[in-house]
Amino acid sequence: MSISRPRILVIDDEPQIHRFLGPALDAAGYEPLRADAGQEGLRGIALWSPDAVVLDLGLPDMDGKDVLIRAREFYEGPILILSARDREAEKIQALDNGANDYLEKPFGVGELLARLRAALRQRASARAPAGPIRSGDVEIDLDKRRVTRGGAVVKVSPKEYDLLARLALGHGRLLTHKDLLVAVWGAAHATDTQYLRVFIGQLRQKLEDDPAQPKIIETEPGVGYRFISD
Amino acid sequence: MCWRSTGRLTPAHRARRLPADTPKRPDPEALLAAANKAGRGRLKVFLGMAPGVGKTYEMLRAARRRKAEGKDVVIGLVETHGRRETESLLRDMEVMPRKPIDHRERVVMEFDLDAALARRPKLLLVDEYAHANAAGSRHPKRWQDVEELLAAGIDVWTTLNVQHLESLVDVVQRITGVRQRETVPDNALSRADAIEVIDITPDELRERMAAGKVYVPETARLASENFFKIENLTALRELALRRAAQTVDDQLVATMREKGVEGPWAAGERILVLVSGDAMAGGLVRTGRRLSDMMMDAPWTVAHVDRPDRPPPGPAGAARASDALKLAEQLGGSTIVLTGADVVATVMAYARRNNVTQIVIGKSADSRWRELLGKSLAPALLREARGAAIHVVTEAAHEAVVEPPRPRSPAPWMGYLTGAGFVAIASLFAWGLDIAFDRVDLGMIFLAAVLAAGVLHGLRPALAAATVAFLVYNYLFLEPRHSFAIGSPIDLLTLVVFWAVALASGGLAGRVRDQGRDAQRRASAVSALLAASRVFSAAAGREAAARAIAEQAAAAAGGKAVVLLSHNGELESAAGAPSLDALDATPMAAARWAWEKGEPAGFGTGTLPQARWTFWPLDGVRSRAGVAGIEAGAMVPGSDTERLVLALLGQGAVALERAELATEAVETETLRRADRFRSALLNSISHDLRTPLSTVLGASSTLIDYGKTLKAAVRDDLILSIREEAERLNRYVGNLLDMTRLEGGALRLRTDWTDVRDVLGAAAERVTRRLGERQLVRDYPGQLSLVRVDGGLLEQAIVNILENAIAYSPSGARIEMAAYEDRANVVISIEDEGRGIPATELEGVFEKFRRMEEPSDRSQGAGLGLSIAKGFIDAMGGRIAAASPIHDGKGTRMLISLPKAVVTPHHLL
Repeated sequence: MSISRPRILVIDDEPQIHRFLGPALDAAGYEPLRADAGQEGLRGIALWSPDAVVLDLGLPDMDGKDVLIRAREFYEGPILILSARDREAEKIQALDNGANDYLEKPFGVGELLARLRAALRQRASARAPAGPIRSGDVEIDLDKRRVTRGGAVVKVSPKEYDLLARLALGHGRLLTHKDLLVAVWGAAHATDTQYLRVFIGQLRQKLEDDPAQPKIIETEPGVGYRFISD
Repeated sequence: MCWRSTGRLTPAHRARRLPADTPKRPDPEALLAAANKAGRGRLKVFLGMAPGVGKTYEMLRAARRRKAEGKDVVIGLVETHGRRETESLLRDMEVMPRKPIDHRERVVMEFDLDAALARRPKLLLVDEYAHANAAGSRHPKRWQDVEELLAAGIDVWTTLNVQHLESLVDVVQRITGVRQRETVPDNALSRADAIEVIDITPDELRERMAAGKVYVPETARLASENFFKIENLTALRELALRRAAQTVDDQLVATMREKGVEGPWAAGERILVLVSGDAMAGGLVRTGRRLSDMMMDAPWTVAHVDRPDRPPPGPAGAARASDALKLAEQLGGSTIVLTGADVVATVMAYARRNNVTQIVIGKSADSRWRELLGKSLAPALLREARGAAIHVVTEAAHEAVVEPPRPRSPAPWMGYLTGAGFVAIASLFAWGLDIAFDRVDLGMIFLAAVLAAGVLHGLRPALAAATVAFLVYNYLFLEPRHSFAIGSPIDLLTLVVFWAVALASGGLAGRVRDQGRDAQRRASAVSALLAASRVFSAAAGREAAARAIAEQAAAAAGGKAVVLLSHNGELESAAGAPSLDALDATPMAAARWAWEKGEPAGFGTGTLPQARWTFWPLDGVRSRAGVAGIEAGAMVPGSDTERLVLALLGQGAVALERAELATEAVETETLRRADRFRSALLNSISHDLRTPLSTVLGASSTLIDYGKTLKAAVRDDLILSIREEAERLNRYVGNLLDMTRLEGGALRLRTDWTDVRDVLGAAAERVTRRLGERQLVRDYPGQLSLVRVDGGLLEQAIVNILENAIAYSPSGARIEMAAYEDRANVVISIEDEGRGIPATELEGVFEKFRRMEEPSDRSQGAGLGLSIAKGFIDAMGGRIAAASPIHDGKGTRMLISLPKAVVTPHHLL
C-alpha cells in the first residue's frame, strides 16, 4: 500500500457491512480502516487521523451522535453518517452537530464513494486560497460580492447573496435548514424554513437553466440544501 | 338620621378636575362591565308609579312600531287584564303560548322560559318584571327568567311599578301602608340599558280609575282605597321619576368612566352597614343602599361581626344575619363577616383600613340597659370614629319579630336543687362549728356554698343559692337568731357580697362553659375536616373520591348527600350516602343548573327552590369536577354545619380533581408505553430487514463496480455474504409469516406420532452452518416414547430456540440439547453458556419483539423467534419455560414438555 492512499475509517458494528465495504474501498483506491464500536472508533480517529470517517449512528456501546460530537472536538476531517430512513430527526441533528453528509441504509457502494469523493474535495477546496466559486456558467466572486452567469452580472438582493455565499462556501456539503437560517437571518429565525423556500426559489429563478430541475442548488427534502460546485 | 354634608360637585369643581387636553385612561372596571354586556341582550324597563298608568299599553305600541320596521318581535307574556285597548294591540303579533304549572291543586298559566329560549326572537316582551313565579318554575322570580334571556342574547322589554323595588319596600310601606311581597332587587333595574317612565298625573290616574280603566288585583282591593290616595300617588310618582333620573345619572357616570372622562363620581365616600342577627338587619341594608344612591353610587359594604367569645345567636338570628348579607348582595353591596371580641375595635379597624366615611348602625329597643351601662354601640363608635359619620337607625315597631325562646340547658331545676343542697351542707357544717367554737365567722362557709353553686351550675342557680344562703345564715346565726329580722345594716352587706360572688362566679362559669362548648364545636369541625381530608387523600380514582365526598358530607350535614359526576357529557349520580337514590326530574334539573352555571341551585337558592335538594358545584383548582347535593332539611342555611359542609365540599372538589388527574396520568403512561413498544417494534423490523438488504446491495454493487480488480477470494466471500444475507432475510420473513399465521388463527396442525429425537436431529442439521466455533452436544436416551405433534412446527420451534442460543453464546461455547421423559411428558432441554437472562426479563422473554440489549451475533433476527416457538408449542398442547442463570450465574435453559397423552382436538387451536 502506498502512503498516498487516503485512509477511510468505517465505524459500524455490523460485520457484514465491513465485509463488503473493506474490499470496495480498497478497490476504489482507499485504505479501509475498521472499528466495530463507538469507543474503538474514537480511538481510531485519534490514533490514525484518517482522511474521512464513515460512521453508523446505531452502535452497540454508545450513541453514534455522541461519537460524532466527541470526534468533532478534535477531528476536522469529513464525517459521513450512515442512518436508517426513518430517523430523519437524527440525521438533521447529526448534520447540525458537524457531520458533512449522510447516506441512507441500504446504500449502493457507488453512491457512498461519490459522497466520499465530494467530502474529500470540499476539504481540499476549503484549504485552497479563496477565489471565485463556479458551478456551470455561474460564478460567485466572494471578494467582490458579485454573481455572474455566463459573464453577465446577476442582480441579487443582499439576503439572496448572503444565502448563496453561505451555500457556495459549503462546496457541495449538505447544509441544514437551521444552519442556513441561523447564518443568514439569525438564531431567532432558526425554524422559519418558509424564508428559505422563498429565497432559494428566487435564486434558482436567477441562476438555474431550468428552475424546476435545479442543478446548482440541490434540495435534500426535509433536511437542507447543497451547492454543487465544479 | 343625620349625615355629614357630602354634596355633589359643582360645575366649577368639574372644570377644575378635568384638565383640558390630557386624554384620560378609561377605567378598566367600566370597560370590563361593557365587555360583559357585549354578548348580552339589551333590557328596557317601562317604569310607572302605580298600576293603571299604561305601561303595558305603551310597551305594546312601541313593539308594534318595531315590528312594522321589520324587527323580529315576539310577545312572551302580556297581562291585558281584559282591557280592550290593550288587547287590540296584540292583534297580528306573535304571542307565545303559556305553560301550565300545577300550583296547589290549580293550574297556573306561566311564562314559558324554555320555549322563549328555543324561539330566540330578537326582541321579547315579558310583562310584570316583579312577578313571582308559581312554585315549580325554574326560577322563583320573573326577573331571574329575564336575566337568563338576556344572558342568552335576547333583547327584553318589561314593565315595572316603582313600589316593587326592593330598596324602596319600606319607604313605600310608610307611604301607602301596604307591604309589597313581589319585589325586584335594585340591581335588576340598574342593569337595564334603557328606562322609559310612563308618567301621568295622579289626577288623571284617579279619573281613569273612576272610569273603570284600571285593573286592581283582588288581593289589593282592600288596600286600594288607601293606595290610590292623591298624596300617595304623588309620593310614588316622585319616587319613580327620581329613580329613573338616578338610573340615567348612573348610566352617564358609567359612560364617562368608560370613556376615561373624570367626573364627580365616588366622591371618596364609602359606606359601612353593621348588621346583627336582630330584626332590623334587613331595614339597615336597605338604608345602606339608599344612602349609596344619594352619594352617587358610593361603594357600600354590609358587615356582620362574629364574636368568638360569645355563644352563637340562635338559629333564627343566624338566619336573619345571613339573609341580610344575601339581601345586600342582591342590592349591589358587598358583604363581609368580621371576627373579633371587641365589636367597636374590630369595626373601627376595618373602617380605617378601608377609608369608610359613613357607618350605618341600628339601635334596637332592648339595648337601652346596655346604653345605661355605657356599653351601647353607637356612643362607643361615636367616640372612636374620627372623620366618619355615624347613622343610627331606630327600630320601627312593626318590624319587631318575636324571637323563639332559646333552648335551655337540660333540667335547670337540677342546678337549683344542688344549690339548695350545698346551702344545706353549709348550714350543717356551720351549725357544728357554732357549737364547737365560739365566735366564728360563719359567713365564709355559706359563701363557699354560693361559689360552688355558681361554678357548677351558672348564674341563676347561684343567685338563688345566694339568696337562700343569706336567709338561712340570717335566720340561724345572725343576731337576733331564729328570726329573719336584720340586726345591723352591716349584715345587709353580707347579702350584697353573696350576690356579687354569685354573679361573678355564675357568669364566669357560664361563659367558660359556653366557650368550652364553642371550642368543642370548632374542634370537632376541624377534626371532621382533618378526617375528611385523610379519607379524600386515600381515595384512589374518581368513584372512590365521589363516594368519600358523599359519605363525609352526609355525616357532616346529618342527612342524605349525593355526588354527581359528568360521564360522557351527561351528569350522572356517582355516589350517595347513606344510599344512592335516584333523583327526580326537578332535583336533576337543579343539579344540571349547578353544573352548567357553577352556582348553587335547588332548595334555598334562587333557582328551582322547590327541589328537595340543594346542589353545589364542586369547583377544583383547574375545572369543575362535579356537583354535590344535600337533601333539604338536613341543615339550617347559614349555620356552622353548612359552613362545615361547604368546606368539606371544597376539599372534596380538589380531591376529585386530583383523582381525575391521577387517572389521566395513568392513561398517559399507558399510551406512552404503547408508543414506546410500537417504536421498538418498528425499529426491530426496520433493523432486521434493512441490515441484510444493506449487505446484499453493498456487496453486489461492489462486485459490479470493482469485480474485475478484486482478488478471487474476496470476490467469493462477497458472493457468499450475499447468499447468507438473503437466507437471513428469508428466515426473518418466514418468522414474520409464522407470527402472522399464529395471530391470524391460520395455523393448521398436521399431527402424527413423532419421535422427538428425529425432530431434534433435523433442527440441529439446519443450524449447523451458523454454529461456527460453537459446539452442539446431543444427549438422548436409547428409548423415548412417541408424542403426537406436528413435526414441522416442532422443528421450527427448536430451530428458533437453537438460533437464539447461538446468537447469545460466545464463540467456542457449548450448546447442549437433551431429551428425556417422565411419567406424563417428553421433555426437551436446550442449554447454552451465554450471559443468561436477568430475572426481571425472564417473564417477558417469550413476548413479541423482545430482544435483550445486545446479542453477540446480530445475524439472528431476534425478537420473534422465541415468541413463535412458544406459539407453536402452545398450539400443540405442550409447554415451554425458560430458566436462567443455570450455572456460575451464566447460561439459559429452555424446557419444552410435550404430553404423552392423546392430544384432544380442542387443544389444537
